[in-house]
Amino acid sequence: MTEPLIRGIGLTKVYGNLIALSDANISVMPGEVRALIGSNGAGKSTLIKILTGAVAPTLGRVEIAGDPAPLGDPREMIRRGVACIYQHSNLAPAMSVLDNIYLGRQPTSRVGFVDVKRQRREARELLERHGIELDLDASVGSLPTVKQKEVEIMKALALDARVILMDEPTGWLSSSEVGKLHATIRALKSRGVGIIYISHMLDEIFAVCDSMTIMRDGKVIAESAVADIDRPGVVHLMVGEKLARESEQAGQHKRQPKGHGEVRLSARNLTKHRVFTDVSFDLYAGEILCITGLIGAKRTELIRTLFGADRFDTGTLEIDGQRMSFSSPRGAIANGIGFVPEDRHREGLMLDLSMSENLAMATLSRFRTGILLSARRLAESGRRMIEALSIQPPDGSRPARLLSGGNQQKTLLGKWLNLSPRIIILDEPTVGVDVGAKAEIYAILRRERDRGAAVLVVSSDLEEVMTVADRVAVMVSGRLHESRNADDTDMSALVREIGSEAA
Amino acid sequence: MSIRPATIALVVFFALAMAVFGVFAPRFASPSNMEDLMGGFSFIAILAMGEAFPILTRGIDLSVGAIVALVGMVIFDMSLIFHVPGYIIVPSALAVGALAGAVNGALIVFVRLQPFIATLATLATYRGIVYAISGRQLVEGLTTTPIKDRWITGLETYFDIGRMLGIGKAVHLPAVPLSFLLMLGVFILLQAVLLLTKFGRSVLTLGGNAEAARLAGLNTGWITIVSYAISGTCAGLAGLLLVAKLTTSTESIGFGMELSAIAAAVIGGVSLAGGVGSMFGPALGAFLLGAILLGLTLLQVSQYLQQIVTGAILLAAVGYDRLLLLRRLRRRATSG
Amino acid sequence: MSLQTVAPRDSARVRLFQFLGPNALPIAIVVLCVVFAIAQPAFLTQDNLIGIVRQVVLVGIMATCTTFVIMTGGVDLSVGPVLAFGGLVAFFCLDAGWPLPLVIVAGTASGFAIGLVSGAIIAFAGLPPIIVTLAALSIVRGSALTIGGTDQHLINSWPDYTFIGSGTIFGIPFSIFIFAFVALVMIFVQKRTPLGLLVAAVGDNERAAYLSGHRTRLTKMLVYGISGFGAALAGIIQTSQVHTAIAIYGPFGTELDVIAAVVLGGTSIMGGRGSVARTLLGVFFLGIVNDGMNILNVSVDIQLIAKGAIIATALGLASWGR
Repeated sequence: MTEPLIRGIGLTKVYGNLIALSDANISVMPGEVRALIGSNGAGKSTLIKILTGAVAPTLGRVEIAGDPAPLGDPREMIRRGVACIYQHSNLAPAMSVLDNIYLGRQPTSRVGFVDVKRQRREARELLERHGIELDLDASVGSLPTVKQKEVEIMKALALDARVILMDEPTGWLSSSEVGKLHATIRALKSRGVGIIYISHMLDEIFAVCDSMTIMRDGKVIAESAVADIDRPGVVHLMVGEKLARESEQAGQHKRQPKGHGEVRLSARNLTKHRVFTDVSFDLYAGEILCITGLIGAKRTELIRTLFGADRFDTGTLEIDGQRMSFSSPRGAIANGIGFVPEDRHREGLMLDLSMSENLAMATLSRFRTGILLSARRLAESGRRMIEALSIQPPDGSRPARLLSGGNQQKTLLGKWLNLSPRIIILDEPTVGVDVGAKAEIYAILRRERDRGAAVLVVSSDLEEVMTVADRVAVMVSGRLHESRNADDTDMSALVREIGSEAA
Repeated sequence: MSIRPATIALVVFFALAMAVFGVFAPRFASPSNMEDLMGGFSFIAILAMGEAFPILTRGIDLSVGAIVALVGMVIFDMSLIFHVPGYIIVPSALAVGALAGAVNGALIVFVRLQPFIATLATLATYRGIVYAISGRQLVEGLTTTPIKDRWITGLETYFDIGRMLGIGKAVHLPAVPLSFLLMLGVFILLQAVLLLTKFGRSVLTLGGNAEAARLAGLNTGWITIVSYAISGTCAGLAGLLLVAKLTTSTESIGFGMELSAIAAAVIGGVSLAGGVGSMFGPALGAFLLGAILLGLTLLQVSQYLQQIVTGAILLAAVGYDRLLLLRRLRRRATSG
Repeated sequence: MSLQTVAPRDSARVRLFQFLGPNALPIAIVVLCVVFAIAQPAFLTQDNLIGIVRQVVLVGIMATCTTFVIMTGGVDLSVGPVLAFGGLVAFFCLDAGWPLPLVIVAGTASGFAIGLVSGAIIAFAGLPPIIVTLAALSIVRGSALTIGGTDQHLINSWPDYTFIGSGTIFGIPFSIFIFAFVALVMIFVQKRTPLGLLVAAVGDNERAAYLSGHRTRLTKMLVYGISGFGAALAGIIQTSQVHTAIAIYGPFGTELDVIAAVVLGGTSIMGGRGSVARTLLGVFFLGIVNDGMNILNVSVDIQLIAKGAIIATALGLASWGR
């Protein structure tokens, strides 16, 4: 009977009077890929932080291959072969790929100097062994996101880790890149490495994991072999009855391709030199159009030019039949266009301002009389939007920083909804958002659509696209393909189209 | 290790400045002026190289001027009041500088102050200590007593390399001050530490992505404290050299030197955002500033105008750096 | 996230810190006043208290006007030279026979203009505020010296002007009224106008503010203008107080005092939320400390050491409380 590679026993973590984790157990055997599933706030991150030593538990212990491990010591856990690939980049952007792979653990000669030759030799061997191509001398900051993820994987592999934890590893990857990652995971499996795979993407979990641990409210509520459970069963356990039902219903809504037939936004031959070429499409009032594709297809770059956050070189953009060209978001907003960016932390929310303030941020002029800003009306408006979107907790004076990912995203959405936008553009609207909040956001988008807004969603999540789109268009390498009604296509067709001209 | 375009620009600019002043400013290209340049600005270069370490960790050290004064007063007291021999004073001075720097690091790591605030606080405190221990106030007559200890005054020697190389009769070479040679030594040492040792990599990592450094298991507290200690030690060395030159110390030496050090480092391409830079830039930046100031003086430009020019140069250097950065980003965006 | 309460033992300590955090400064002020009053009863006389306020007028005006800059995550190191420059401009205008109101406008406008230029470089060229205002410090100081030399320019024959700094109304120095007015205006702007919210928003997340349709660069430029205005106004008051205008006023260290006051007041040097009202607390706190130590005849060196220790301790406690 072999020992588990890593085992957490009775792990509990208390912050002040908040119990983040309560009596959690988890273990990973050699060659096992265990999924760790749970909504935001379920306690997954806390568990991971304890296992990697980033945080010490209040109670409980961790064993590595049967031996007790010191708690709260990241260096020691790394030494014992526990590696983690976090969601957010843990690379030093100004340093080279080679330096990043050996971050903090450069091999040294006797005097304390870094042994660069050995570093390079070992790195090259590693790259060959795993079939990954990286320019060791490129500065990491200059690499595209996909390549940066590969550097992170190399970093973990270079540790000769026995256990690798992956936190939402496919957040920014496209389908084929996800496939590649899964192939790498299977290769690691065969070498006896254990993997903990944290993800919201049920498709991926059923594709590559052997077992799963499901958490809710800081506790482990179930463990199961992947083969012994099905999707609805998992969602049920994750979110409890009510939200699970909502999530199921989400897939059964009526579609309204082309809405009421009125063209709100019309793009013709939009081109930005070396970014995207000859993009043409129409967006109708009362519909949800999804643009999907690979990372690198330049979807984000395209929609930013629609909003004035960037400029296109040639082509025309018409809003309600009028030719427009926005030099800044100000102009787009004045025309009733809202834009929910991809990265809510970097481009969307002001984390230390209150929820009400964030909600009012795009519509401040509404609360102004002369030179005065009415704090009362701002708070009142905030209260109404919080209620309309069921943002938890319903306290408008709370700083946005304290909200969960899903509630933060809803706040961000609320800011733009306050505009009563005629066109609303969203970029990856549910990344890092739990299943319950996802369903709520889809419902909100449908409400807007039914209200007559034109909704444009950029998403890499094909499940999401099939759930929420009335029409779908695929973008490949800077070119937009002809759109089709969502009813007339399915996920496998989309995958084929997306991979069709892989550049 | 690739050479950054910013560094190349710096070298070109330096060469340009030397050439322009050499032609237009009387006596600029003379050996005595070169001696002034080396003698007068080597210690700024040392300060700048030391200052670069905190900046590389995405921090800043506003207290280096105060540390210079502190060390200066310690030397003064030790030599003129306690008559401690020079060969003990010199290492003590460096130790005091290191300790003062380490206190900065400790405030940042343990009390969790922002670097700007921590070094602001120590700036005030160290100046206060300078007054408190000032031998000039405590003992009569010391204000006019020069320090005569050979270990200290010896720091202010000049080497007649012309004669040493045997070509003194043919070419009149400038005499190289010891401070310049010490500066070179510091340069070689710190550059080696930064580029070749694990500690140096760790400093760059910490500045580049503090969270990544922490998760990689680096002892970020230790790295921070040592970085500020290096800054303090360099300030200590600068203090030694300054006292050697003046043969005394006052309560107000070092005033404003932190700004020169920061300016030289930034002109030298050390990014205030951390993680980017080397020792070469700050050192050359210091001499660039020196060349410009000396050149302007020789051109009979008023002191006041010199201040204006210095400010303008700082702006130009940073502006150019930014231009390069923007161009790099634009290139990446269109090729990615 | 579920919240289940745990043994109340810990929460009492947490509650103490939560209470202390934002209220530490007023409490400290009260404590200090009590301590100083006991040690030296002369502390509580009307003369001394008015003296304190008069002392802090200059730093107070500058700190109030610079709070916005720090809220946007920037810093203005050039306030010292701008103070001198403003005073000099006022002097030259007086000398040229301009009427008093115009003199004031010219002086403060010069500071405002300098601030706008720095702000424009910071906002539109994207250069770091430390470096830009450092360069401005040098350039403005050099300019002040160029137009004024190191001479003392005496302001003796303009009683209207000298009233600004030295006159009194009901026994209270006029400069205090100016300070109070500026402070009230700035507090009003911060709490009741869109600009106040915008400044916090830009400091919190400039990119998000831009994407929300706000003119972030203009905002940034404006806050430096306000800071310059404040410095120039302080310069006018100072020249009026001491009856001279010299190019070397506002020596190195002035800007650090100003920044210390703002930061002690609780505005973070990293930018974001801030409060002009709390800056006032910081200003008074420093003023009381200075005055108390002077009254107790504490020597200069200890005063400096104390100042450093106070900044370190106060802010250290603040970051621990978080």
